[in-house]
Amino acid sequence: MLTKVQNNTPTMTTAGNSPVDFVALSNPGLKSRIAYTISQEIVAGFRAWPVWTLMGWDDIRQRYRRSVIGPFWITLSMSVFILVLGVIYSRIFHVELHSYLPYLTVGFIVWGFMSAAINDSCIAFIDAGRIIKQIKLPYSVYVLRVVWRNFIIFLHTIVIFIPMAIIFKIEPRLTMLYEIPGLFLVGVNLIWLTTVIAILSTRFRDIQPIVGTTIQLGMFATPIMWNVSALGDSRIVAEVNPVYHLIEITRAPLLGMAPEPRSWLVACGLAVVGSMLAIALMVRASRRIVFWL
Amino acid sequence: MAAIFLNNVSVDIPIYDVRMASLKTALLGRTIGGRFAESGAYMTVNALKNLDFEAHDGDRIALVGDNGAGKSTLLRVVSHVYPPTSGSVHVVGKVSPMFDTTIGINMDATGLENIQIAGTIWGMTRAQIKNSIEDIIDFTELGDYLKIPIRTYSNGMLLRLAFAIATVRDPEILLIDEIIGVGDTGFFKKAFARILKLIERSRILIVAAHQDDTLRHLCNKAAWLSHGNLMAFGEFESVISAYRNPNTPAQQPATA
Repeated sequence: MLTKVQNNTPTMTTAGNSPVDFVALSNPGLKSRIAYTISQEIVAGFRAWPVWTLMGWDDIRQRYRRSVIGPFWITLSMSVFILVLGVIYSRIFHVELHSYLPYLTVGFIVWGFMSAAINDSCIAFIDAGRIIKQIKLPYSVYVLRVVWRNFIIFLHTIVIFIPMAIIFKIEPRLTMLYEIPGLFLVGVNLIWLTTVIAILSTRFRDIQPIVGTTIQLGMFATPIMWNVSALGDSRIVAEVNPVYHLIEITRAPLLGMAPEPRSWLVACGLAVVGSMLAIALMVRASRRIVFWL
Repeated sequence: MAAIFLNNVSVDIPIYDVRMASLKTALLGRTIGGRFAESGAYMTVNALKNLDFEAHDGDRIALVGDNGAGKSTLLRVVSHVYPPTSGSVHVVGKVSPMFDTTIGINMDATGLENIQIAGTIWGMTRAQIKNSIEDIIDFTELGDYLKIPIRTYSNGMLLRLAFAIATVRDPEILLIDEIIGVGDTGFFKKAFARILKLIERSRILIVAAHQDDTLRHLCNKAAWLSHGNLMAFGEFESVISAYRNPNTPAQQPATA
């Protein structure tokens, strides 16, 4: 019998490398399992940023490799989409184009970022199956790759807002700085949500169409193309929707307004509760994901 | 120092078929009373059974056994890809698995980009990758071809590039699953020489293969697996002869 397992605190050396001292027990206590999962599957993944940033960039490069303007195709198609939608819907809703178009632009682009990341997360692990079965990388690497990839696309599309702000004379204000914590909170919420969906949809392959349908529904149920004020007395329909608050904290600052405290509160609360959910799920699933692929 | 300690390790691999991978089935199973989901919900394969195994600096271990004996599973346990179902795994040292050399290879990217992507996935730093490029150019003799997308390469060129990238690392614990012939015979010799150098740089080698002569050349120890059991582990020749002539009892007991 071997009794050489003395070191029970595995350490990670450098980003992306296999751990130098690795201990795996089949039935560790819950406490050490939680600590192990957080350090090895989650934190280690954040630290391996060279891996997921490169993977994310490469995904985009691959998608637009043979096109002349590259990822700016997304910018172009998004511009056309927003312009057409904006002109028509501002008529339908009887609102002024100069207030509706910037509102639609920011809301739609933030929504696009979130929905694309959630959509992609369904196959985050499945897509990387060949790598997962051969090299041990923290599972968060594959989730962060998806969020990062879509964040790059977001940056490519949000530039549309700059000419729009100039045309509609949206003056730079200090309240626009709220955009930074706003985007940060959206990022945190996306990371836990994509983690949860990535795990579940690897185990249950029919989650993917469910997610797709939900996203489609969400686009119409969330005040993106319409304003909350249009709801009148039924404002509650938007207020109970957490996505609305996530969009608010990123949309309002760019339009020169401070988001309501309620929206910050919801976004923060969601980030905390969701992260705990994601960690709990990772603790439960991380030993099995490789067998689901 | 590098070392591997496996203590009473078992690995059960659950087999999920399409039906069980369905949310609907899981939910329905639960409403029926959970019996469906619990009993016989999925099959498991006992890929490794109560394995005790130990390796230290300088060990060059050949894994032998028939197909499905658990060789690849053992390699995946050592490389942390498979968690043990029971028992404990303790590995000291950086593990470099070499199972599939084409991992991370992207056909639309150029040769140089592929070196970067694959290198990063393998855990190399930017500086290490940069330093390795000279060596890869030297070895592959691809020259300016590295600047164009690899979908334009011939099969031989692709293999050479993938092989060069996979063998550029500095492994402490090197795990090889099957040594395959690479390209034309001239290149095979060169590739083999490169693998030998890679092995020299490593502290521990575990290689699963079927060619006794090749293994004899590389290894000083052998482990014989059969249906997930470690039948014999120890000095190379005695384990190999026990494996090849299963009727005569193994001279070396299991677990050296």
